[in-house]
Amino acid sequence: MADKVLIIGGGMSGITSAVEAAEAGLETVIVERNPYLGGRVSQLYKYFPKLCPPYCGLEINFRRIKQNPKISFYTQAEVQSVSGSEGDFTAAVQVNPRYVTEKCTNCGECAEACPSERPNDFNFNMDTTKAVYLPHDLAYPMRYVLDRAACGSGCQACADACGYGAIDLEMQTRTVEINASSIVMATGWNPYDASRIENINFATIPNVITNVMMERLAAPNGPTKGKIIRPSDGKEVKSIAFAQCAGSRDENNLPYCSSICCMASLKQATYLRDTAEDSTAEIFYIDLRAPGKYEDFLRKLEEDENVTMTKGKVAAIEEDAATGDPVVTVEDILGGGKIKKQFDMVVLASGMEPAAKSASIPVDAAYEANGFVDAENLPPGIFAAGVSRRPDDVATSVQDATGAALRSVQSSAKTPAVAGEKAGGN
Amino acid sequence: MADENVEKSEETAGAGEAQAEAAAAEESVVATANPEPESGEPGAEGAPEGESPAAEPAAQEAPARMIQPDIKFVREVMGSGGNDLKKCFQCASCSVVCNVTPDDHPFPRKEMMWAQWGLKEKLIANPDIWLCHQCNDCTAQCPRDAKPGRVMQAVAKMSIPSLSKPGFLAKGVGSPTALLLMTAIPVIILALVIGVLGGGSFTPEREVLGGVEQIVYNNFMKTIAIDIVFSTFFILGILVLALGVRNYWGMMKAHADREGIRLKTGGLAQVGPVLSEIITHKRFGKCDETKDRKTSHLFIFYSFGLLFAATAVSVLYTYGPLLWGGEGTHSPFPTIHPVKFFGYTGAAAGVIGIGLITINRFKHQQKTGMGSYFDWLLIVLVIVLMFTGIGSAAFRKLDIGVLAYPTYFVHLVAVLFLFMYAPFSKMAHMVYRGTAMAFARAAGRDTPM
Repeated sequence: MADKVLIIGGGMSGITSAVEAAEAGLETVIVERNPYLGGRVSQLYKYFPKLCPPYCGLEINFRRIKQNPKISFYTQAEVQSVSGSEGDFTAAVQVNPRYVTEKCTNCGECAEACPSERPNDFNFNMDTTKAVYLPHDLAYPMRYVLDRAACGSGCQACADACGYGAIDLEMQTRTVEINASSIVMATGWNPYDASRIENINFATIPNVITNVMMERLAAPNGPTKGKIIRPSDGKEVKSIAFAQCAGSRDENNLPYCSSICCMASLKQATYLRDTAEDSTAEIFYIDLRAPGKYEDFLRKLEEDENVTMTKGKVAAIEEDAATGDPVVTVEDILGGGKIKKQFDMVVLASGMEPAAKSASIPVDAAYEANGFVDAENLPPGIFAAGVSRRPDDVATSVQDATGAALRSVQSSAKTPAVAGEKAGGN
Repeated sequence: MADENVEKSEETAGAGEAQAEAAAAEESVVATANPEPESGEPGAEGAPEGESPAAEPAAQEAPARMIQPDIKFVREVMGSGGNDLKKCFQCASCSVVCNVTPDDHPFPRKEMMWAQWGLKEKLIANPDIWLCHQCNDCTAQCPRDAKPGRVMQAVAKMSIPSLSKPGFLAKGVGSPTALLLMTAIPVIILALVIGVLGGGSFTPEREVLGGVEQIVYNNFMKTIAIDIVFSTFFILGILVLALGVRNYWGMMKAHADREGIRLKTGGLAQVGPVLSEIITHKRFGKCDETKDRKTSHLFIFYSFGLLFAATAVSVLYTYGPLLWGGEGTHSPFPTIHPVKFFGYTGAAAGVIGIGLITINRFKHQQKTGMGSYFDWLLIVLVIVLMFTGIGSAAFRKLDIGVLAYPTYFVHLVAVLFLFMYAPFSKMAHMVYRGTAMAFARAAGRDTPM
């Protein structure tokens, strides 16, 4: 029986658990639904508070994976079923076809030849890719992927264009069985669907975007190559309203605080302020959450005259028909009046929704009321890491994932069968 | 606050900070957690909130003011429909979605904070609590489900004892446990008038009128007795309300003076504009969630108007001719008669109005709640009023004495109940909301319509 840790989710937490457990001597296997590892972190432009690029940390982790033979992973894969108990789990994993084999050299000839397009979910559908595409600049595995649902029927332009025979249109879905002594759930999060927030009109006003979209808009590998311009008319953005708690701490939407949106908005205010001296950001908040060392970051932004913090929630947004500018309505609590204010763009600081909630992971896991994994009440041998169990920032998730790795190490140490096998193996 | 939900303790702490921050901007505050206020109703008489010398700040900034939280008041608000008050964390979504609030210091966010803190004087010496039209857009949109609309209503209800004197009557009307006693009073008064004081008879004989032997309510209770009893209470009600308006205006004025707000006009100058707004129900139409309330309320409003006209016209026909030595028309009035016209149309409008109001309550139950005892007392009273009124007329026509007289008696009790308690029940909103609208206009803080 394998002395192996099954890690569900290949985002920052899953990668961390895999690397840490593997470096402690266990075999780890990551099952990731996307065609690439790195998850939400790979969509970020900068980390707070250091404002360094997340690609940097991801690259280090990818190298740790590459160098370590104990780590394996499946992309475009989903766990179908799990049976057994601590020390002896069996998981059936469905691996969906990528249609592009290891022969791929990322030359891009296939995409050149491809006649079909698909909405680019990596950029939150703000642009499109060809049906055959590289998920993003630092995709790992660094290989193209074909979205067959976006292909024209009978089309094989990409296969014809590929000089390396790397496109296999006949590739089939397969199911692999994984034996594992323990399981780490690192299923992460999805951005909350802002169109569900009443009175905000996210769905109908193009210049109202979400914070995750703002990351892509500011990122050099994003849909605008890092230029912060308006979705409606491509106009350069000079003023942004950040609407904090958009759908968060809200019984009608997400009842909890996602804990990171304040810092994310403060960080994104610097994205805008870096573009032009006269750019202005106004952050509308209920409470600003910048705990511990993050407080310095808040203070730094407060010193910027062009960044205003206004206490009061943006509870309504309308569009100015003439300019396409969003107009926010807020009670300026400290100022004493209900105000309407026009901006070039509004960024909704919307929260994190646990992905496991909608993905119905077939693990016998306990969930708390909001859909996060209830890590305290999991069966023996099943652990949770990162945002799967609690909305948190990357740094905290990495620490949490290291903790989960330790638990899986402890789990395998206390399982006699595994210990015996290990002794024999050595 | 011992009954605070433990799970929410973290957020309550957060809300406290937010409030402290908000209040700090509004005025420098030294909060003292006074478990029981020294007087039962601090500030109810318009006294300044305990300006104790101990609260004098050392710093030279804004002068600190001691806050005397009236914990009893907070509990009362929570017991009168505002039970989710403490969930509020001051996000101000409510003020944004409210279509009837002025933009300058909008409601109901600040009222939620004051109510949480038990600042009764600030709340009731303010026009805003009555400017609220109970659309409940705030309640539907509140991210915390703190139901600001219900808190506003609870506070409005609780302000009545400070306005309409004697205050204990208002407390009685507002309390379900006192319902029996409150109903017994008009029953006893009417029974005494009919049976003992010689107004009429509980088993009256039928009378031949216009060649037909029929039920004549005049023999049950004399018209003159009705007119004397009801006019007395009607006039008393008007007097209490007039004093209440004076009280309210005085309290608002004193509070405004302390806040440094000067009135731009007197109150009388605003009577015209306010009346014109009331008869058109302009503000009601601005509700989002409960848009249909405008129609139902208009029906009931004009129903009361028509029924009042019916009464006035009947008085005119009964006593008018006496002035020049003629003979007055006695009830029952003929079927084709101005009194009947006003009566029938008023009854029809009333039935439609109160029917719609009841239906709307159930329709909006999910998003805005069913409403409080205070609401339902008036709704049920009006239902009883309308149906016993129509029933009295119908049973008389059908000549069923055994139903006609009890129905008529219940009708009289309902009308007397309405008249007696008008200054203390939800009926008082008619006058105090009007006063608040006039004051807000005079203070220049009204919404542009």
